[in-house]
Amino acid sequence: METEVLIIGGGPAGLTAAFEMASRGLEVTIIDESFSLGGQLCQQTQLIRALPSAYQPMAGFKLANKLTEQLKDFSVRYLLGHRVIGLYADGSIGVTDEKDVFPVKAKKILVATGAAENAISFPKWTLPGVITIGAAQTLVNRDFVMPGKEALIVGSSDFALDVAYQLMEVGVNIKGIIEKSAVVNARDKEKVNQVEKKGIPFYFNSYVKEAKGNGEVEAIDIQLQNGILTETVDLVCIDGSRSPILDSFYQLGCSFGYQEVLGGWIPQYNKHFQTDQKNVFLAGNAAGISNHAALLLTGMISGISICEELKVLNRDAFKELTLSYWRELENLENKDAWQARIRHIEKFSAPLLKDQFIS
Amino acid sequence: MHIEDHPVLGKQLQAPVKFYFNGQEYKAYKQQTVAAALIANGIKKFGLSRKLVQSRGLFCSRGRCCSCYMTVNGEDHVRTCMTRIDEGMIVSPNLEDPVIRSDRDGD
Amino acid sequence: MLDKTTIICRCEEISYEEIEEVIDQGARTFDDVKRLTRCGMGPCQAKICTNLVANIIHEQTGRPLHKIPLPRMRMPLSPIKLETLTTDSTSFSAVKSVLDEVELEDGKVR
Repeated sequence: METEVLIIGGGPAGLTAAFEMASRGLEVTIIDESFSLGGQLCQQTQLIRALPSAYQPMAGFKLANKLTEQLKDFSVRYLLGHRVIGLYADGSIGVTDEKDVFPVKAKKILVATGAAENAISFPKWTLPGVITIGAAQTLVNRDFVMPGKEALIVGSSDFALDVAYQLMEVGVNIKGIIEKSAVVNARDKEKVNQVEKKGIPFYFNSYVKEAKGNGEVEAIDIQLQNGILTETVDLVCIDGSRSPILDSFYQLGCSFGYQEVLGGWIPQYNKHFQTDQKNVFLAGNAAGISNHAALLLTGMISGISICEELKVLNRDAFKELTLSYWRELENLENKDAWQARIRHIEKFSAPLLKDQFIS
Repeated sequence: MHIEDHPVLGKQLQAPVKFYFNGQEYKAYKQQTVAAALIANGIKKFGLSRKLVQSRGLFCSRGRCCSCYMTVNGEDHVRTCMTRIDEGMIVSPNLEDPVIRSDRDGD
Repeated sequence: MLDKTTIICRCEEISYEEIEEVIDQGARTFDDVKRLTRCGMGPCQAKICTNLVANIIHEQTGRPLHKIPLPRMRMPLSPIKLETLTTDSTSFSAVKSVLDEVELEDGKVR
């Protein structure tokens, strides 16, 4: 199979980039492992406020619909239920539809593989019933299944508080939120209030000492500052922050740098979201964990960069658009993420990890 | 339990299907994954770990951790969080490594 | 939290203690730990334990996280049936990672 642009990942960043490119006449192919477009937005029922000026605040799943909808007038090829499994020596991408493996040859590749949730380990965290906070959200809002009746949440990010609230709304009893530091991790005070109003206790300076249960989780020992509290639960949701998904970049031979604020190791890229493999671009959480506005804006910036390289956008218009998208990114991204991104881009020619043994 | 009436998304579960786990019949809905269908029916334990023989179930729900491996319609090591349930599906737990050498195949 | 029997690699069931032991013996990267313990060699191919192990190396040795490199991420990037891998497709070039395994660099196998 041949295409002008192959986008790996049909989430918010990939779809926004696709819009920039397909609307300017490029032949775009989007590959995604799941059954539907929109990535993790599909199960996000919370209102998303931080969005570029072209979008009104809306719930995540509505944004997924909008981003998909705006592509319908253009010729975009969708390979849903397909995965990238590796790279061929001639530079084509190895793709499987689970029945066959076939090469996809593209002039430009845009990697928008997003982020994966990090684990938090504690004794018996492998018991059934201990799942990631993202898994809990998927069960409730995508599969319409109650993941449990009585739950504890380990971690207190904005995302964890969103999901805690959504779990409560379907009738899960949240018995507490365990936070290892002295303060709540979420930035959005409204979300904290929302959860506090429901009477959910926060356990600060605390951690899971042990999960207990025969065949599945039945109780949790919480190590508090002054003793141990045992709670009976059938669900534990782990909120371990997120890191970029890097395996496709690794296969493609990209270099990496490290920015803790952006999720740790991230591919090295310049201000056009182009990696040091000049035909490989990136966008979204794969380029550093940030907010929804950044997912979309980085997709827009990398999308127009590919448009310019493939000569469907003239240089002046490209420069002007790049500048305005970057200005919006600076306004909408959290300051620490923005600063880390700038530091990361400045290190483009001096990556920490390069020329790795690809095998 | 299935969420028949979701507080935000409403009544989305429209197409029921039957499936079988350990020989018993259960009810699920078409858009659900195998893993979700089992959890809706109170089944969290999907299999046993290879070395310490401890219970395992869904963990990441993103097709990454492989904790939700099960045997589906005779195929071993299926990531049940990435596989949709279907009418008449036969699901069994992942209890041990599959037999890959046998007298029949001349090994 | 620091219970030494805690499983770190869910697939191969490698404990905190086993990882701590090889760090004592000099392991400083994920791949060092992997070669000595099988940590990360199960079906998930280190997708879950990479950051947990990096944090343990960091805690035990004080080595900053940006000096603990990423593990190798080999093809296939996620589990695939052999039946699928032995595809019916006929037009490919060689698999890049296979060439990297055997290609010579300065007369030596890399």
